[in-house]
Amino acid sequence: MRRKLGVPIVLAMLAALALLVPALGGDYYVHVFALVFTNVILAASLRPSLTCGQLNIGHSAFMSVGAYTSALLAKNLAVPFEISLLCGALLATLVGLAIGYPSLRLRGVYFAMVTVAFVEVIRLIAQLWVSLTRGMSGLSGIPKPSVLGMTLTSRASQYYLVVGLTLVILLVLWKLEHSRLGLIWKSIGMADNLAQSLGVNIARHKLLAFMLGCFFAGTAGAFYAHFIRFLFPPEFGFLMATNILVYNYVGGRGHFVGPIVGATFLSLLSEPFRGSPYETIFFSIAMLLTILFLPGGLITLPRKLAELRSWRTASAPTPSPAA
Amino acid sequence: MTLALLVQSAIVGVSLGSIYILMALGLTLMFGMMHIINFAHGAVYMLGAFVIYYVFFQGGVPYFAAFVTSMMLLGVFGYLVERSIYRPIKGGIEPTLVALLALTTFLQAAGYPVFGQLDKHVPPVFPGTTNVLGVGISIERLMIIPVAAALVIGLYLFINRTRLSAAMRAIEAAALQGVNVHVVNGLAFAIGFALAAASGALMAPIFKLDPMMGEQPLLKAFIIIILGGLGSIPGAILGGLMLGLIDSIVATALGAEPAFLLSFVFIILLLLFRPTGLFGYAS
Repeated sequence: MRRKLGVPIVLAMLAALALLVPALGGDYYVHVFALVFTNVILAASLRPSLTCGQLNIGHSAFMSVGAYTSALLAKNLAVPFEISLLCGALLATLVGLAIGYPSLRLRGVYFAMVTVAFVEVIRLIAQLWVSLTRGMSGLSGIPKPSVLGMTLTSRASQYYLVVGLTLVILLVLWKLEHSRLGLIWKSIGMADNLAQSLGVNIARHKLLAFMLGCFFAGTAGAFYAHFIRFLFPPEFGFLMATNILVYNYVGGRGHFVGPIVGATFLSLLSEPFRGSPYETIFFSIAMLLTILFLPGGLITLPRKLAELRSWRTASAPTPSPAA
Repeated sequence: MTLALLVQSAIVGVSLGSIYILMALGLTLMFGMMHIINFAHGAVYMLGAFVIYYVFFQGGVPYFAAFVTSMMLLGVFGYLVERSIYRPIKGGIEPTLVALLALTTFLQAAGYPVFGQLDKHVPPVFPGTTNVLGVGISIERLMIIPVAAALVIGLYLFINRTRLSAAMRAIEAAALQGVNVHVVNGLAFAIGFALAAASGALMAPIFKLDPMMGEQPLLKAFIIIILGGLGSIPGAILGGLMLGLIDSIVATALGAEPAFLLSFVFIILLLLFRPTGLFGYAS
């Protein structure tokens, strides 16, 4: 019962806090938190694939597809933001189909290796197709996002847009995870041969979970493109792909809020080191320590601490009244 | 493309392929034992090259001794990684992969403050060129082929003369027969890391050194083991030679990046029609 109530409460609190950011902080905080929300979308959208037991280490590639598609449509063809965002997300999904269909029928490690290589493929295409993407000079002059023909000029309004997007996407993912489909995904992740013996088409369900993730990664990428308004191929490299995975593991794999907690915590904590090599050093150490000492992720921290406390009181059965 | 250019790029391709084979063999060996992919393989290659920079170039130690040092140091490092990361996770494949990924990003990121921001260069060990079939070939590149071949043959003999080969085929059955699984896994980590270090050490005098230098060879090794089939040693050797030749000949004709894109398209097509690779076995 507590579990079922937990998520809506956390989401409502997050939403309330999120809406206060522009009022309380300046443009800097609005900028930082908009990127935190982008990371939350990316991390949460990786979860269905991970639930199926598929290690997708190439999520940033699909973000990149969404970002470049939406940016180029809006910039070169003056397509409205809503449509270009949708096109970016759809193309990311299609590309996901092309990569996922051959590799998802095999055991997980093949898929993991193909996704890693795919990050490099997308980066090279973005880098080499200079006439379209401007290559390593970077794509600039991307129009600001607009809603129903109204351009969102202020940082705060763009921020509210990403908050809205995040809430909708989280709601969809939450509903899916607690539907029959979510149960099937879980069963595949726990014992795929057993699930198959019960008549579950595992390849199709893995592909569906993966493509769903690609769709939302493309969405996050499209928002990112119109928010930052500058795209540079190496940005969507191996490092960003690993970070998205890290959010899930550091936050915790066992519960829906895991990637949300992980993305928020790590994005905010690494903000002071942004751009320096220490950011990555910090990330990787956090990840190693979590996997070795807190395998359930940050979301299990309260329970672990409670266990530790009860263990301590149990080992000292007669606490002195003076203490 | 003239015939001379073709011969030249074929020889360079075999030399490049030898490096890829050493990388892929370590990966395939570790996969065969533990069903994990060592994502840290590229970072170990990088460390292997930097050992050459410090021990051979800065320290003035003879190249061969530096080469052995590099393999030994990183072999020990591999054993330590098995003890401190693989063993505590207790065979969880997915957490192990993520932990190795974290180790990779750590080693790469820590490389910048430790080794410096500027690219490093190691002077040639075997300078000059020699004449092969009327074409000038750098001796440095040519020397890679016998060294790699010796390592591959040594590894092959070692695996087949010891109970390691049985353990590679069926680690659980080997455990039942009294093989110490921890020792075997530690050995697989040590050998895999030492082979990656050897590749890096061989390439150090040819390419520039920077903390990210292992990423490309790692991706190539991934493509090779998908191509050759996971866990297959002949597959890794054949796949490595094929990719080395593709890389050298296509790269000479079209450039390095199209060569990589082409090999990726090739493995996606291969996965569509022959999902377990050329030599792989079904799970």
